[in-house]
Amino acid sequence: MKEKELLLQALAGSNADYAEIRIERELRNQVQFQKDKLENLESSSEVGGIVRCLKNGGWGIVVLNDISQLQQKIEEGERMARLVGEHSSEAAALAEVPVVQETVHAELERDFRDVSLGEKKELIASYNRILLSYDKRVVSTNARYTDSFREVTLANSEGTFIVQQVPDITLLLVAVASAGKTNIEQGFESLGSAAGFEFVLGREEEASNAAKRAVDLLGARSVDGGRYTVILDPGLAGVFIHEAFGHGCEADFLFKSEQMAKIMTVGKRFGNNELNVIDDGYIPGLRGNIPYDDEGVARAKTYLIKNGILSSLLHSRETAKKMGAIPTGNARAVSYEYEPIVRMTNTYIDVGVHSFDEMLAGIDKGIYAVKAYGGQTMFEQFTFSAAYAYEIVNGELGEMLKDVVLTGNVFETLRDIDMIGDDKELYGGSGGCGKGGQSPLPVTDGSPHVRISNVMIGGK
Amino acid sequence: MNALLEELKGRQGELYHLQTRTLPVEFRSGKLESIKSKELEGVALRVIDNGRLGFGTTTNVKDGHGLVDAALATAAFGEKASLAFPAQDDFPSVDTYDQAIVELSERDLVELGEDLIARLERVSSEVDINLSINKVVETVKITNTSGLDAKEERTRILLSVDIEKAREGDIFLLFEEAQASYLNELQVDRIANNLIQQLRWGERIVPTPSRSLPVVFSPAGAICLLLPLVVGFNGKSVFMGTSPLRGRIGETAFSTDLSIADDGTIPHGLRSSSFDDEGIPTTHTPLVNNGVIKRFVYDLRAAALAGVEPTGNGSRSGFRSLPKVGMTNVTISTGTHSQDEIIAELDEGILVDSVLGLGQGNIISGQFSNNVAVAFKIEHGKIVGRVKNTMIAGNAYALLKESLIALGNERRCVHGMLNTPTIAVDGVNVVGQVK
Repeated sequence: MKEKELLLQALAGSNADYAEIRIERELRNQVQFQKDKLENLESSSEVGGIVRCLKNGGWGIVVLNDISQLQQKIEEGERMARLVGEHSSEAAALAEVPVVQETVHAELERDFRDVSLGEKKELIASYNRILLSYDKRVVSTNARYTDSFREVTLANSEGTFIVQQVPDITLLLVAVASAGKTNIEQGFESLGSAAGFEFVLGREEEASNAAKRAVDLLGARSVDGGRYTVILDPGLAGVFIHEAFGHGCEADFLFKSEQMAKIMTVGKRFGNNELNVIDDGYIPGLRGNIPYDDEGVARAKTYLIKNGILSSLLHSRETAKKMGAIPTGNARAVSYEYEPIVRMTNTYIDVGVHSFDEMLAGIDKGIYAVKAYGGQTMFEQFTFSAAYAYEIVNGELGEMLKDVVLTGNVFETLRDIDMIGDDKELYGGSGGCGKGGQSPLPVTDGSPHVRISNVMIGGK
Repeated sequence: MNALLEELKGRQGELYHLQTRTLPVEFRSGKLESIKSKELEGVALRVIDNGRLGFGTTTNVKDGHGLVDAALATAAFGEKASLAFPAQDDFPSVDTYDQAIVELSERDLVELGEDLIARLERVSSEVDINLSINKVVETVKITNTSGLDAKEERTRILLSVDIEKAREGDIFLLFEEAQASYLNELQVDRIANNLIQQLRWGERIVPTPSRSLPVVFSPAGAICLLLPLVVGFNGKSVFMGTSPLRGRIGETAFSTDLSIADDGTIPHGLRSSSFDDEGIPTTHTPLVNNGVIKRFVYDLRAAALAGVEPTGNGSRSGFRSLPKVGMTNVTISTGTHSQDEIIAELDEGILVDSVLGLGQGNIISGQFSNNVAVAFKIEHGKIVGRVKNTMIAGNAYALLKESLIALGNERRCVHGMLNTPTIAVDGVNVVGQVK
């Protein structure tokens, strides 16, 4: 194989203390409708690579499209690494991991590369028609399909050589409804998986749900700001655990800052005994799957919180070395344009014992918040907007609410979780995680329903 | 004509070719961590075949066949083309290229970063400083079958710093960035001074009440009010019926003190260029004049759909994306007082420099509800300390119409596209920490 020889030759010629090459080949399609217009129908291909060199504790990185330039680029990487090594007193080093030589094939029920552009277009057009025709107040739509098939080759100077096929398929269905010039609302369904074309078939119900929600929200009341007992649905709870807590467990964020590391100490209590939080690198079909991470480290099932106690952080080889831990297979790069950084995979709160009805009972005045529009975290501070919500009055669901934004301190909020449901669900979504400008990285989040007391809600 | 376009054999087509060289240098916790050299090259092809539009992109710039085949395959199922590719035009003369940035070496960037870190560490030792500095040199070439043959080289330098000050139970995260297309316009001193001042202001944490208060948005914080407008003035949103500004040209929808323009021709502007990403000359487009809505911005396709002229606002995010309507430099009118003078006039209020969760929620309607990230309490005309766990909520359209207190007298270029002064508004709903 010509490319393999090229990689091995380039690595053999390097004087770096550690050198690594990752080459990616990608084929992708996109179909997008907005309102009654076909916005995009695209067929694209891409080849690119990244070289990482470690020399005297400094990193030099080179990104290129022209693979024939590898030999020169690996020298350039080494030169830059040496310059970093000269200037920095903080030497990077890597934890030892087994050498791996393996090829991982994607197994798809119906390979989307074999599906014609015409069939893809017709399917999305049919969902778009459902969105548009649901109600005359639906003024616009966004129905977007993407598929991507990547073949990623990783080779390093320690002898690891891994080829992985990475499929990804997403479907986003958005309806925008309007009643008067400033009353504009959206409803959406966002789906993603490491699966074949079958994943996007039969989603008519999701399309009409998205449209119904946009129309319903036109008549919903804006929430009154204040503090409430809140039940999060599995979608929003999943985004919460990923954004607000999971990112705090990423060791690259912690390992150079003593103060941060002190707060995130393994063994510290973060919630009640019922709380378990897991990052699992492989659950069949899920979008966050990575058999091997982008440093060639095998996947792991990592308990971040076990019975309420912080049990592990997420590591790359560099953070593991620095903190005396074992790499967890969480060094991920969104594409060949980027070096791997510590990222989550499939992250979820594990099931508890409570039914949804038990959670409702005993809430005099509360909020049931469903799905996330988006969220952001600044270490301990988080904020999320619910896609929609319902008020809870005397233990029963009441009228629909909008503009529900939840915010708070993640540590206080984890302690305030007083019930965890018995009904876990995991969602891939059509977007992804956006850490460090590397967006969108396919991940999965999930959770059972979760009840939290004393959550601050912003609103009118 | 370009050889690849000749392969279209008489069909209409447009080739967008982008070469980008970047050199990001990263410092973590005050120490140099990595240098990265990135050279990317890719092409995007739009074709019109039998009146239908097709699109494909590739990094394999040498394999024209593959790209032409892919784009034609999509055209078979494509949208009926409403647009025509533009012929060569007279482009405005806009300076976009600084040789001094091209010549910056890795070592120069490392030293620039080290100097700034040393300056900040002299002021406060108990902080963690992450800094990133990057130079960008790009070459854009657009050719099409209508005879367009446009090429431009552009440079940019970007500097961003975040500072973490952590104590048990409290972490203060500060962020400043500066960008320039000419090296000597990079405002390193401003970054340093702002960070040092905010560190001082933030030493004390003060409580916030829960009620309606005046809020002073610094230029960086003003994005909270301006982001909905960036969406609202997009000609495509207007055509699609999702902009609340549709059908309202000529209406006084904002305070008469407020004027807004989109200007792709500003000398040395960050998003300035001679032509947009479809080869249309860039323009100065008035969006709001003294509160009155004047125009919206359009790319080729949105203009064709809406039956208006394009405004030079076709924008691609790299070679992989289709052109979309995008703002260039959004310029907001100034007032007569400095930010300090505006603060001095307030009995009580909040100064907001950044928020969490920007743009999440129902941005189309102008509604925002955000937890503050970096914000300070104003009492009796003075900053008295930092506020945290505080939500601010309101509607950007309503606030900019009925509740504008003042516009600052100095514009800053923030978030890469906004050229805005401080904006102070009254009547923002504030929910403070109840503790």
